Amino acid sequence: MTPANSFWTEVLQGGLSGYILLALLIFVIGLATVLLRRSLLMQFMGVELMINAANLALLAFARFKNGDVQATTFYLFIIAVAACEAAVGLALIVGLYRHRQTTDSDRADALRQ
Amino acid sequence: MFLIFALITLSGALAMFRQKNLVVAGLCLVLSFIGVSGLFLMLSNPVAAALQIIVYSGAIVVLVLFVIMLLNAHEEEPAVKPRSIQRWGSALVVAVLGVGAFKLVGSSPALRPANVRPVIEPMTLEQVGNYLVQQHLLAFEAIGLLLLASMVAAILLVKRDL
Repeated sequence: MTPANSFWTEVLQGGLSGYILLALLIFVIGLATVLLRRSLLMQFMGVELMINAANLALLAFARFKNGDVQATTFYLFIIAVAACEAAVGLALIVGLYRHRQTTDSDRADALRQ
Repeated sequence: MFLIFALITLSGALAMFRQKNLVVAGLCLVLSFIGVSGLFLMLSNPVAAALQIIVYSGAIVVLVLFVIMLLNAHEEEPAVKPRSIQRWGSALVVAVLGVGAFKLVGSSPALRPANVRPVIEPMTLEQVGNYLVQQHLLAFEAIGLLLLASMVAAILLVKRDL
């Protein structure tokens, strides 16, 4: 079997590189959402997607490299911080909407009205 | 099974990216998160899978959907100006990052197929709890304080007359 061929069987059977590749794809979609969509709420969801991709890569490495308990504990901390980020970020979006009546990031490009 | 969950995750994420309606986009995000939690099950980590369902698809997405409905922002507002340079630049950055990282994953020696498969025993909540309280007690308390602080901050930020 050629190296390229074995790489793709590994990916399709759910080996480590399959998980990493999937995490990469999710991260790229999240980044594209943040960069290309204009609504702040869509950008927020893209950020959540990117955090998820990072978590997936972390736990996949943990499973295949024998570091499981530490990684799950770390994952716990990550989602606690993500929950904080969600609360504060959404509060900021609501606050912006109160002042400007918009959730469009292009319309909120100045610090004062 | 890996392929099924991977396809669920990817299709949820792509549908979220393409979706015009923000509420439907949030529901696509839930689909993607459920796919990720299935992948955590495939990694024999049911603790992480349960946390993923509870916190992400349970709490965070519900919070986002509530804010979308509260602000009545179901549709993206029409663009002020096209900003085509920024848009194409962003698409280029995303494409370059994706292709470059793909090459790296393909050529990385750390991701070579392992000769021995690791022993798969499912993660239990007991293990995580013991490790958390024995090794990271201070961080655990700090994260509790951080959650409290962010909750107070969120309430203060949306207070009308500050």
